[in-house]
Order: sequence, then C-alpha cells, then structure tokens
Amino acid sequence: MAFPHRPDAPELPDFSMLKRLARDQLIYLLEQQHEVDKLYKVENKPALSSSEQLCFLVRPRIKNMRYIANLVNADKLAGRTRKYKVIFSPQKFYACEMVLEEEGIYGDVSCDEWAFSLLPLDVDLLSMELPEFFRDYFLEGDQRWINTVAQALHLLSTLYGSFPNCYGIGRCAKMSYELWRKLEEEEDGETKGRRPEIGHIFLLDRDMDFVTALCSQVVYEGLVDDTFRIKCGSVDFGPEVTSSDKSLKVLLNAEDKVFNEIRNEHFSNVFGFLSQKARNLQAQYDRRRGMDIKQMKNFVSQELKGLKQEHRLLSLHIGACESIMKKKTKQDFQELIKTEHALLEGFNIRESTSYIEEHIDRQVSPIESLRLMCLLSITENGLIPKDYRSLKTQYLQSYGPEHLLTFSNLRRAGLLTEQAPGDTLTAVESKVSKLVTDKAAGKITDAFSSLAKRSNFRAISKKLNLIPRVDGEYDLKVPRDMAYVFSGAYVPLSCRIIEQVLERRSWQGLDEVVRLLNCSEFAFTDMTKDDRASSESLRLILVVFLGGCTFSEISALRFLGREKGYRFIFLTTAVTNSARLMEAMSEVKA
Amino acid sequence: MTWLWLKESQKADEYLREIQELGQLTQAVQQCIEAAGHEHQPDMQKSLLRVGLEGRAGQGWELSLLLSGSSQAASFGKCFLDRFPPDSFVCMCQDLRVLNAVRDYHIGIPLTYSQYKQLTIQVLLDRLVLRRLYPLAIQICEYLRLPEVQGVSRILAHWACYKVQQKDVSDEDVARAINQKLGDTPGVSYSDIAARAYGCGRTELAIKLLEYEPRSGEQVPLLLKMKRSKLALSKAIESGDTDLVFTVLLHLKNELNRGDFFMTLRNQPMALSLYRQFCKHQELETLKDLYNQDDNHQELGSFHIRASYATEERIEGRVAALQTAADAFYKAKNEFAAKATEDQMRLLRLQRRLEDELGGQFLDLSLHDTVTTLILGGHNKRAEQLARDFRIPDKRLWWLKLTALADLEDWEELEKFSKSKKSPIGYLPFVEICMKQHNKYEAKKYASRVGPEQKVKALLLVGDVAQAADVAIEHRNEAELSLVLSHCTGATDGATADKIQRARAQAQKK
Repeated sequence: MAFPHRPDAPELPDFSMLKRLARDQLIYLLEQQHEVDKLYKVENKPALSSSEQLCFLVRPRIKNMRYIANLVNADKLAGRTRKYKVIFSPQKFYACEMVLEEEGIYGDVSCDEWAFSLLPLDVDLLSMELPEFFRDYFLEGDQRWINTVAQALHLLSTLYGSFPNCYGIGRCAKMSYELWRKLEEEEDGETKGRRPEIGHIFLLDRDMDFVTALCSQVVYEGLVDDTFRIKCGSVDFGPEVTSSDKSLKVLLNAEDKVFNEIRNEHFSNVFGFLSQKARNLQAQYDRRRGMDIKQMKNFVSQELKGLKQEHRLLSLHIGACESIMKKKTKQDFQELIKTEHALLEGFNIRESTSYIEEHIDRQVSPIESLRLMCLLSITENGLIPKDYRSLKTQYLQSYGPEHLLTFSNLRRAGLLTEQAPGDTLTAVESKVSKLVTDKAAGKITDAFSSLAKRSNFRAISKKLNLIPRVDGEYDLKVPRDMAYVFSGAYVPLSCRIIEQVLERRSWQGLDEVVRLLNCSEFAFTDMTKDDRASSESLRLILVVFLGGCTFSEISALRFLGREKGYRFIFLTTAVTNSARLMEAMSEVKA
Repeated sequence: MTWLWLKESQKADEYLREIQELGQLTQAVQQCIEAAGHEHQPDMQKSLLRVGLEGRAGQGWELSLLLSGSSQAASFGKCFLDRFPPDSFVCMCQDLRVLNAVRDYHIGIPLTYSQYKQLTIQVLLDRLVLRRLYPLAIQICEYLRLPEVQGVSRILAHWACYKVQQKDVSDEDVARAINQKLGDTPGVSYSDIAARAYGCGRTELAIKLLEYEPRSGEQVPLLLKMKRSKLALSKAIESGDTDLVFTVLLHLKNELNRGDFFMTLRNQPMALSLYRQFCKHQELETLKDLYNQDDNHQELGSFHIRASYATEERIEGRVAALQTAADAFYKAKNEFAAKATEDQMRLLRLQRRLEDELGGQFLDLSLHDTVTTLILGGHNKRAEQLARDFRIPDKRLWWLKLTALADLEDWEELEKFSKSKKSPIGYLPFVEICMKQHNKYEAKKYASRVGPEQKVKALLLVGDVAQAADVAIEHRNEAELSLVLSHCTGATDGATADKIQRARAQAQKK
C-alpha cells in the first residue's frame, strides 16, 4: 500500500515560491487601491456595495467585460461616480479593452494585470486553472492562451533553471514551445546563469489522447473528482459524507496523510486499507489503558492531537468511500466499466452500441451518454453512418434539439465523427502501401487523414501495447504496469507515449506512432548539453498537459516514476475529467 | 617641484620627502592629476601625470596597461605613497584620451576638461553622431567600454538611420550594407531604422529592413502605419501574439470595405477564429455575415439554431429561425440536421398547442420529456399519438412509459401495459423499477416473466436467493453461481450456499 519512493528518488523543487510571488503581486496591486472591504463574485447581478471604489478581479473574457460595463453604465445612469479598477488575471487582452471602449467606459476604468498563471495545487502539481483553454483552443481554434502558457514556462525556467531536454507532441505544444523559446532569446542572460533543477520537459496536447480522458476513473483521487468534483485542490463533501448536517470543504493534497496514502490506489483496495488504518488507530487509542500518569501526560500532549486529526480524516474518507459505493452501484457501475473495457479492446461493438442506446433512452445522464458515444467513436475510428444517425436521433429525443450544436462541436473537435464512407480510405491505403515504400505510404496516409480527422486508436493501441495481455487475475494490490489505473484493462495512451519517449530520449523508433497520431510535423525533441545538470535533476520530469490532464494520468505517471526512479511534476491548463470535457463541448440553453 | 623632478634634480626627492612629512602628499598627487586634466598640451599632461604616478604606490603595471594604448607613456617610479586609490588617475587618463581625440584638428571640438565633464560623455557622443563622425564615436564607446545598448548599438543605429537617407544608393544596397554592419547587434531595433526610412519616403526600403527584425511583433506597428496591413497581419500571426493580431484586425476592419476584410480573413484561419470569437459575443450580425460570405451553411445553420432559443422569444420567431436553419442545413447537405430541425419545428408548434389546450409547461421540453409529461398528466392517448407522429422507437417508448407509470405508482396501468404485447426491453427493467419504488409485491410479478438469461438477476433483485440458486444450478452457469453466492449473507442463506457449493463440486467432477 502507498508505495514509497525509491530511496534515490530526486527531491521536488519548492513551488511555494510561485504562490508567494503571486500573493505579493496581488497585495501590491490591491494596496494601490486602498482597503478592500468586501469581496463579491462577478456574476450578472448589480453589486450591492456602497463603497466609493470597485475593483474587479477577472479572467480576460468578453462576457466579464460586458458585466462590468453594465455595472458602470448603471452607476452612470444613477448619477453615481465611483472609481473602477479591473485587474486581469493572468493577462489583459486587447479584445477586452476593445469591448470596454465599445461600451463607452474605457475612460472610467483603470486596468491592471495580475500575472498569476501557475497555482501549485500540490507538491508535484501546478495548475494554470484555465479550464476554458480546452474549448477555446481545441474547439474554437483560438490561440490566445498559448502566449500565457509560454509565459508560464518562461517563469518556471527563470525560477528553476532552463530545461536541458525538451520533448513535445501536438500542434499547440509546438507553438507554445516556439513562443517560449522566443521569449527566452529576447531575455537571455538571466536564465543561463541558473543551474537546471528539472532535467526534462514534455509538452503534450490533449487531443493526442482523448480516450484516456474519457474513461471512468477508478483510482481514488480520480473517482473523488468524478463523483464530487475537486475544485482548485479542494472538495466539498456533502452531508452524506460528513455524516452531519453540514457540508465540509476539504483540501486534498499531500498534506492530508490519509489521503496521500490512498490517492493513487485502485478503488477496490481503498476500503480495506481504510479499515486496517482504523483498526491501527483504535489500537493506538487503546494503548492509553495500561498507561501511568506520566505516560498519559505524554500521550495527551504529543500523540493525541495527531491521532485525532488522523481520526477526522479517516472518517471523512470512509464517508466518501461509502458515498461513492452507493452511487456507483446504483447506476450499475460494473456494467458501465465492462462496456468501456469492451470499447477499449474493440470487441462486442454491437453490444456496446446497444448499451449506449439504452443509456440514452433511459435518460441516465446526458453527459455520460455523450461520453460513451465519443469513446465509441474514437476507439472505432468514427461511428458507422447508421449508428451515427440513430444515436444522434435518440440523443436529441432525450435531451432536446440544441444538442445539434453539441454534435457539430464534437465533430469539429474530432470527438464524435462518422466513418468515412465504406472505409474505402483504408482499403486504398493498404493497397498503395503494398506498392510503394513505407515512407511514401506514410505520406499518403497523412494526406488521407488530413481529409478526415481520424483517431487510429486501434492501430496505436496495438503498436504501443496499450491493452495488456493478462494471464489470470490482474492483482490490483501489486500493480505491474500503469494499466492498474484502469483496473488492468488499459494503459493510458498519453502516459505510454511519455514513457516511450523518455526511454529513448527522443522520438526515434516511434515514427509509426507519430504518424498514426497525425502529428508528423508536431513531434519535436530539443536537447541542449548542460554539464551543470546534476544526475538528480535529470530524473525530474515536468509534464505539461495542454488542454488538461486527469487524476488517473497523474496516478499512472506517479507509478511509472516510482518504478523507474523518476519523479514527475505536472503542469496542466486545468485538471479535467470526462464530464468536464463533455460539458466544455455541450451547448446548453442559457 | 614638478619641474625639479622632471629635470631629475636631486632636490626633487628632498622636496618630495618634505611634502610627505607634512602629510600633504595625497593632496599633491591629486592636484597633479587634476592639473593634467586642465592642460591642453599632451606633453604637459604626460608630465603631470607622471609626477602623480611617481607619488603613487605600486599599481604602476596596471596604469601602464591603461595608458599603453595612448600616446602617453607610463613610467614606473619609486613608491612614496601607499594606498592611493587609482580610480581618479585611471579616469583622468581615459578622459584625456577622449578629449585629445576630439581636439584633433580633423575633428575640431576644442573642449576643456570642465566643459567635457559638464556635457557628459553621452552628449559628446551625440555631437559626434550629429557630425556623422560615426567611426570615432564607436571607437570612443569601445575604448570606454560603454554597455553596447547605450554605446555602439546606439551609434550604429544612428548610422543606419543616416544611411537610409542616402537617396542615391539603391534600396537593395542600403539594406544589405546596414545588415552587414549591424548583424545581430543587441539593442539595435531594425524597426526604428525602418521607421526612419519610411519617414524619408522609402517604403520599400523600410519593408526590406523590417525583414531583418527578428521580433515579428516589432514589425507590425510600422507595417500598419505604412498601410501594409495584410503583411502586418501575417507578421502578427507569425509572432503568436493574439493581441497583436487583434490590433491589426481592427485596423483592417476600418481600412477595408467589408467584403475585402472578410476575404482577407478567409485566408488566415487563426485570425478568423479570433475574430469569430469576438463577434460571437459582441457582433452577432457580423458573425452571420462571415458565415454567409464563406458559404458556410453548416455554421450558418448552427447559428440560427442558437438564435431559435437564445435570441428569439416569440414562438413565430423561433419557428422562423429554425426554418432558416433547416434551409441552411439542406444547403450544407446535412440532411440529418435539417430533418432534426424540421422535427423540432413541428414539436415546438405542438408544444404550443398542448400548452393552450392542456395548460402546464411544455415548451422547450425534449420530445422524451414531452411524452413523459403527457403520461404523468394522464393524457395517455395524446402521448401515444405523439409517439407515433414522431416515430419514437418502441424500446424508448417502453422505457419511458415504464418509468412514468412507476413514478405515478399506477401499478394497475403498468401491469396492463406490460401485457399489451411482448416487451421489447424484456422484463428485468420492470423488476428493477418496481424495486426502486420499493414495491416488492409488484416486482415479483414481473420476475417470473423475465427471460432465462436474466432470471437469476431478477430473482436476486426481489431477494429470492433460494430460487435464484436453483435457476443458476439448472443453468450450470459458473458466473451466475458465484453471483448468487455473493448474495448469500446471514444464516438464512446458509443452506443455499451449501447447495451451490455442492453443485459446483459436482460440476467439477464431471
């Protein structure tokens, strides 16, 4: 349980510096504004504050600008004069200023930037907290956040030294990387002096691997996220968990000793672990019985507080587990997981399709149904036209016509597509590839795949051995590979790619995989020799997920790190899961 | 005393010692150095400095290095004074060297030392630049080791700005010459030089020069000024800075007529998506025009669909928006979407009628929810009719009715329904739903009708473990057996568990 790191595992850099930097800057910004007496949430409601000045701390979104404009204009109508200040985080966009100008309030407000782009959620997890990145980039093709990513990377390299080895895959990864390099060049000198603390950086686009993000999570932390939604590293446990009438906000990170031991565990082990822990705790409490006064004094002053704390955490997580079990058995979770595994392995497709159809017909959950449809589409390289039409029709009947737009979004993002008529492409392709050399065939495939966004999941899965051959039972207590995060049925594609590249220290030998990912132009390696990089730093790897990563992926890589003596640090635009991805693609009536 | 020393007089040494005894040697040295500064004749300067040096301690070698480049020779003398800071001496040597250089008759700037100090080196450099004495200015910068950005780069930039004014040289040559000299010198802004070229009316040269500017972001403002907006747009896109792209876009929007503007956007997908994002929030009409321009019927359809529920309020408006959407989808050859949209139009009209006739809330419900609402309201006939009209598949209808009737707890109607014909979804769902409503009695009725594959599950659901075991044994199905076994809890099921184990053992024997 809770596997310890190898003794030679490298130390993680101290990321609390990022928090301090951000805090100091915010304090500086707010101090110019004198005292802040109350905080309001920016929402489309008049602010009831009577104070003389209002300060807005917002994301640079047009919607927010409109809200501010409405507020200022309402004040103007009422003949009220106040001072307004808008603080954009992490940066200001020209488009926002334009809106302020068009709304006629540009002169009334002053603007500032709070360059807070990296929030350390845990010792090894940095989040940019930009969930909108996913939709903006992968659906709308809006590249505004790439600059923000480059700035964040630049900040990291100024604080923790440059990265001697860089790898990446994906269009966005490449753009971010190039922009970041440009920033470094413009401002060189500063970073060169620092000794690199982190040896490798790996940038990865979310659209390289949608499959992993779409799967139901069964590792504890992922399951908690799927069930209760972890926000900014904390979760609201409702009354059903706390077994009181109040809900409780709990921080979930490495500081929570109980959580830290179970977060990466397959759910089936968690309950047993917790009850064992409870028994140990009881035993420790029970030691009191035989104590004399002095020992008792010691016990109360030194151990009791820790025990009580542990007790509290333990009962919370047991509560959470119970609640998860209740929810998951109710919706026939086993059935669902079975279907998912069938989809991943590519057998019983018809059966899975009817399962999904029933799921839709019964109105089990709009987001879940959508997720299953997408999973089916990606693993099967698109739905066959008949299913594509019928599933969509069923879905519209269940959930309303506005989802026509959802489907159009999903198609654009390549998440839910129709198979190219009659698979003629593949037929032609295989014929051609028999005639010409592999390289030329690759080019032809590229040409074909640019016609239709194809996922090629099955071929990639075979190439990278994503579905482990298991003889007998997969022992989830002693995982042997990263597949344990999906009950031994599937190794997360994203993590496998990272593993393979790190092993080879380049993309060499992975040409076929890169080609199948439709990414021949966007896979890169960049090594600079830096003799000052210690062997310890060379075992630290920063993985950057553009478009979000899931807790399952984090757990899988933590596992890989323990196996190989690496340590991974995660930087993500936001922590995501299947529901968040689907919601980002859905059209809802406002 | 200086004179005495210069003449190598014996007396000099005596005087020197005298001064030293008086404790005024430091002051004397200082004075000598300063005096050198005010002297115009290099020879005289040299002498005075040498005296000063004589009074100083051991750093002779250092000074020699500094002076070796100059016309003045350094001499090593005895050390009379310890720890005299060398800075003032070094500075004076440097200053004098600069002054002597500009006093040269080729240059002709007869500055005094005080004037020079008043002016500062920066101003002197400016003057040299104004006189176009670029090489000298650069030499001075290098000699004084001024930081490149303030020194050499600045002067080179000035030189380049002068160069672009030479009208008799071709654009090509000027650009090349400038690039050869400047290369990648840090701190030189090609865009500034280009701006100067543009100021002189040499637009082509300016564009050529901008090519050398490594930061594409810097190229954009000037390109805009020169009305090369399209070039500016591609440079802005190259820079990866969306803000810059947006700036150019707004420029273009004002500069070009709408058609041309859209055409420009069409070739720049990144700019287009950026502008679309903006329009989605700020200028919906423009967005529509954009799609129209591109004949993007698919998006146009989506646009009207969104309008049908987001902007239009009256039912007629909404239906009209849907009609437009359907037309667009037909044009986009997306028959599926067109048909779905038409269905929605029908549904909307019908929901409106239902609201008028039956009261209650029907508008904006999905088809499924509409039918459910009808059943819950007891309008079974209407529900049937609707299901037929919209060709709701049997399976869905059964699920729907089953759920709705169970919600109503109308067990009688449910039973009637279950017998109306053979259930397309089997009878296990009936059992499940009855159990969900905690009606074991009803559940048992349906459990008996469940098909053989799901029989065990059904029996377990209603809690009949013993019978489930019998069925499983009969089926000789290992998975079913273990499922039943996992349900055997408590003492009551002990016998059943034994029975299963026996059956298992028997199966293994065979």
